[in-house]
Amino acid sequence: MSATPSGTRVLVVEDDPHLAAGVMENLRAEGYEVSTAGDGEQALEWLRERGCALIVLDVMLPGIDGFGVCRTLREQGNNTPVLFLTARGDPVDRVRGLESGGDDYLAKPFHLQEFLLRVRAILRRWDWYRSASATAATAVLRFGGNEVDFRAFRARAWNGEAQELTEKEAMILKVLAEHAGEIVSREDLLERVWGYDVFPSTRTVDNFILRLRKRFEKDPARPRHFLTVWGVGYRFLSEGEP
Amino acid sequence: MKATRVFQLTVLVLLVVSAVQVGYWILDQRAYTIDKVRAARTAYAAQTSAAQALLDAGVSAERVQALLPQIVIAGGHAALAPQVEEALRTEERHRYNRYAWEGAFFLLALGACIAVIARALRVEARVLEEQENFLALVSHQFKTPLASLQLSVETMALRTLSAEQSRTLTDRMLADLARMEAMVTQILESARLERGRVEFKSEPLELGAAVARVVAHLEERARQERIRISCDIEPGLYVVSDPLALDVVVRNILENALAAVTPLGGGSIALSARALNGEVELSVRDSGVGFRPADGARLFERFTRLHPRGGGGQYGTGLGLFIVHRLMHLGQGRVRAHSEGVGQGAHFVLTWPAAQGQRS
Repeated sequence: MSATPSGTRVLVVEDDPHLAAGVMENLRAEGYEVSTAGDGEQALEWLRERGCALIVLDVMLPGIDGFGVCRTLREQGNNTPVLFLTARGDPVDRVRGLESGGDDYLAKPFHLQEFLLRVRAILRRWDWYRSASATAATAVLRFGGNEVDFRAFRARAWNGEAQELTEKEAMILKVLAEHAGEIVSREDLLERVWGYDVFPSTRTVDNFILRLRKRFEKDPARPRHFLTVWGVGYRFLSEGEP
Repeated sequence: MKATRVFQLTVLVLLVVSAVQVGYWILDQRAYTIDKVRAARTAYAAQTSAAQALLDAGVSAERVQALLPQIVIAGGHAALAPQVEEALRTEERHRYNRYAWEGAFFLLALGACIAVIARALRVEARVLEEQENFLALVSHQFKTPLASLQLSVETMALRTLSAEQSRTLTDRMLADLARMEAMVTQILESARLERGRVEFKSEPLELGAAVARVVAHLEERARQERIRISCDIEPGLYVVSDPLALDVVVRNILENALAAVTPLGGGSIALSARALNGEVELSVRDSGVGFRPADGARLFERFTRLHPRGGGGQYGTGLGLFIVHRLMHLGQGRVRAHSEGVGQGAHFVLTWPAAQGQRS
């Protein structure tokens, strides 16, 4: 998978034939290879046998809705990035979409160029993540008795517990680990992991850090690896704070 | 709207306070009566004791009788006169009855008023909620064709297209516009139905003729989509309905059937009718995409669209069958739908009351 569109496959899941055709034609014109599915079940069936670099997923689908499709994929361990398209643009829906494991969220009607930009941005972020986890040295992170496998989205915690990471948790961890010892601001994390101000606040980043602490800190209330730098952001220490 | 609500709530509070007051009044009056009767009895007992004391002191019975008229003296013993005792009981009963009847009447009247206002408030709240839901659904329904339209226009602006591609996009845009126009018409129609602002005539109408008119209108489209419409309705079947409603119902049912068959690249729609127990049944059977039997109940709700790929440019708005259901209901008719499952076709049955003097 590369950042150049040619040969990159995108699955478009949209029940409206006109919109599906319009999205498909434009992605093809950009050089992507495109497959389509008319409902959630078709999409899940397609994804059982094949893979793609990105799923453009309508929320209001007959049968299982888009959120359900995304949740099912994540539960099956499929971490393919998802761009939600939806007629409902209110913040509550936005958060629901991202919490179900989506990467980005675009409200209908949308601008073609913005859509194409977001597709490129998601693919670029994943490209970065994959290349940053490509070598044996970068694929695995060890700290404080924890061992994280970035390629498999799995980890073994200090107490021997096996952990399944969501792709956002893995990405945040990757960004922090790349800048171990440095201060990373919440805005930087948002920009690197989500790319857009899709969340109503940077507080969401805080929630993800809390989740990482719960997974990997011996005492989440007194973190030694994921440190808060008040008013700025976070600092990751692989050795642990003395 | 808001001022009315404040008024209603104020009246409701006043009514509840009044009801409590009346309840308190009943209890208070009862306690007052008990006190009064007790006081009277004590006074009479004192009089009786006094009379007895006078008698015992040697005062003559006549003298005592004259002094204390409520006391009767028999064989040297003083006692309260029976008619006084009786009058006291009667007064007590009379008061109790008055409080019970008057109080109960006022309480009942107040209770009825409270119930009426509470009901009005509940109905209003429900209407408001439905309106909000309706608006949300309507705007949602418009966003998909709008998104498609915007995408087509921006594609034309952004890219160099061949003549054929331009044509495809133009056709698509026209179809999206037609879809939105149909939605506007149907939304207005359904909104009118919802508010019950429909004048519904009831007159005998010949079903065969009404169906034939609609079929003639849709035949060209059916032929283009390779759909065969067969119509087996004997003349002389009269239903009681509104002429406009009958036309809308039959047209919506047939358009729904066309939309269900079109994605399969062709098929058939069969119409037949019969008279049965004072009613006339129209059966519409299509070989289209069908639906899950579990979805049968949702089919007639607003904005339910079960044909994801509803034929070409002829999109469902999710309102057609809702309108059918409402119109049939208004005209004392019924509609039901059945399908064995997705891909198994569908069967719609419309039932109207038969016109008197049916020649069947």
